[in-house]
Amino acid sequence: MSGRVGYLAAAAVAVVAALILVPLFRSPAARPPGPSGMSGEAAPVFAMRDDAGARVSLSQYRGRVVVMNLWASWCPPCRAEMPDLQRLWQRYRDRGVTVVGVNEGESPQRAREFAASLGIRFPIWIDERQQYGRVYAALGMPTTVVIGRDGVVVRGYDGALTFDQMRAAVGDLVATR
Amino acid sequence: MKLRELAALAVVATVLLEIAVPGRDVYHAGWLNVLLVALAVLAIAPAGKAVRAAAGAPARWSVAAAAFGVAIVAIAGVANGLLAPDDSRVIGAPGERVRNADLGGILVFPLLSPSPENAQAATVTLERDGGAFEIGPRTRVAGSFALHTEERTVVLIEARDPGGAHLTVTQPTGSAFLSPVLLMQHHQTIAGMDVPFDSFAVPAAHRLVKAVLLTPQQASAMRGMEGLAIPAVLFAVDDERDQPLPHGIALDPGGAAIAVGGLRLRALVLDYPAVAVEPVPQLEVAVLGALLVAAGAIGSAVARARRG
Repeated sequence: MSGRVGYLAAAAVAVVAALILVPLFRSPAARPPGPSGMSGEAAPVFAMRDDAGARVSLSQYRGRVVVMNLWASWCPPCRAEMPDLQRLWQRYRDRGVTVVGVNEGESPQRAREFAASLGIRFPIWIDERQQYGRVYAALGMPTTVVIGRDGVVVRGYDGALTFDQMRAAVGDLVATR
Repeated sequence: MKLRELAALAVVATVLLEIAVPGRDVYHAGWLNVLLVALAVLAIAPAGKAVRAAAGAPARWSVAAAAFGVAIVAIAGVANGLLAPDDSRVIGAPGERVRNADLGGILVFPLLSPSPENAQAATVTLERDGGAFEIGPRTRVAGSFALHTEERTVVLIEARDPGGAHLTVTQPTGSAFLSPVLLMQHHQTIAGMDVPFDSFAVPAAHRLVKAVLLTPQQASAMRGMEGLAIPAVLFAVDDERDQPLPHGIALDPGGAAIAVGGLRLRALVLDYPAVAVEPVPQLEVAVLGALLVAAGAIGSAVARARRG
């Protein structure tokens, strides 16, 4: 009897020791830095205003694919990709895709003038406190995040995109409608 | 009380103390962990003989349970003392989501509230395994870690052009690039004073700015600040080639907008939580072990009483 108890106790101790030690050697989760690291997570929603002063929120676009582009007027690559974002919006807005340009840290007037100078028609939001830039871990500007119809971040991009890259970014999401 | 029982009690008490009062360097000291092992050996080694000598199955199982309990409590304690990571403090910008491999999840830092009441109530959320765990000033144990928030001073920056238009603030060398909140993690010595500082850029105005945080005592030593009992921020504005600008240094005495280096800057000094991460022996394992030791001791006492 005592021998069996000893073996059982030793086996139990070994199992518990393994349970204690394994978590201590857990390897870090391999998630990339920057906006792509948000993929699979619910897109944060902040109440803010657009360039005309109206209250806006990401939740109003639930059920649509949202291409959220973080930009500023002083950023040359942002300026360069704006016309392609406008093309994307024109081509896909009737197929359930919304493009939103979120100005990071500038005044509504500056954002409005910049958008007007480039003939931008898609919604421009003003994020004076740079909240979206922080939660999407923007590494620079521009930063683009694609949000699915269910409000979950599908993919994120650091740096300017070409029109073909933009189309590829939303293509599968439009097809799954 | 027998030496074996005293040793068992000491092992359990030490490990439970490590959970109740986390974050002490002594828990990672070699001598303490050697002592813990020695006590565990003292408690467990005579158990085989005691099991054989025990009269009846309940008495034997009681001794074995107590020895098993001591073993797992000791393993939990020694694993924490020798293998767990060092104590750390996780600092994040408001709204930032910081992955932490030790915790196996994401720490979500709250948005900054400029009102002091809300800032004190702010909690950091640990998201992992599909759930959320709120971390506040009171220590909470999550698995192998004791977590609590500690308030630290940060500076919220607002930059405008001379016409008053809001400008983007970036931190090319900070943890969050697009954040107007300076985490003030660097230190330097100025005029014999150790002061925290941080830096940011205002790309639209081609400016690089260094911000030095002064305590009320340090600020009151500055010319023109005598008698003011508030923290202040000293700005030094350079052009984008790091060249100092004329009229590029100014002191912001607590939240007022000041003109400096072609900018209008405003600094709000605020408290904001950081997360203290202190490894502890695994709570569930330690409690299970302690319960086994207690059950074994009670079982042995009852068996003795019946026999006597």
